[in-house]
Amino acid sequence: MNNKKQKDCFYCVNQLDVDYKDVRALRRFVNFYMKILPGDRTGICAWHQRKLTQAIKRARVMALLAPTHK
Amino acid sequence: MSKSKASGPSRYELLFIVPNNYTEDEAKVIITKAEAAISEQGAQIVYREFWGKKKLAYVIKQNHYGYYNLCEFDAEPASILKIDRNLRLSKEILRHQIISIPVVTDAERAAIKEKQNQASAKTDKKEEKTVKEKMIKPAVKAEKNDSNKAELKDLDEKLEGILNAKDLV
Repeated sequence: MNNKKQKDCFYCVNQLDVDYKDVRALRRFVNFYMKILPGDRTGICAWHQRKLTQAIKRARVMALLAPTHK
Repeated sequence: MSKSKASGPSRYELLFIVPNNYTEDEAKVIITKAEAAISEQGAQIVYREFWGKKKLAYVIKQNHYGYYNLCEFDAEPASILKIDRNLRLSKEILRHQIISIPVVTDAERAAIKEKQNQASAKTDKKEEKTVKEKMIKPAVKAEKNDSNKAELKDLDEKLEGILNAKDLV
């Protein structure tokens, strides 16, 4: 129940756009297995979550983020 | 995505990787070549950024490292196909990606970067704190029973920190 409570959206709070080059930020929305976390775990609003999944996939293409853990 | 009514040029961002079997000087020559090929198609390069040698998150064609280069340019949407094709065909470029981006000035770009750094640093600190609090509370309770467990937990925490730090590099 605890993890379902509403969190603040990282990108709304910091007034940032989602950027696929900002790996430091993206890394926090991916779990140990490098899977993209769902919106209720990340606490990100739906609008930014959609941008985020796109950005993570772009980062994976450019080998900035790993697609899986090793 | 709505189709842009104005048929003028729009801003694009290109990130590409030059494999590590070239030296840095050779890589820079390749980069200038690639940029020349872009501007041949009528694009105007607005911004360049050389990231230097970075470790790839996974091996691409037996390359563990690569030189990353970022450039922003204004181009006609129709010319992007050709630019993309040329980059894909060149054997000196390991991988590339073109995306369309909003127009920003140099000052705004710098401001965004600083914001990103600050935001990450802020939340990293917060997370550290919460993790530590969580780790300390059970440790205090368990101290009477088993102090070894608490030490192990601290060690695990440190290990995780180190591992994460390596990932970031």
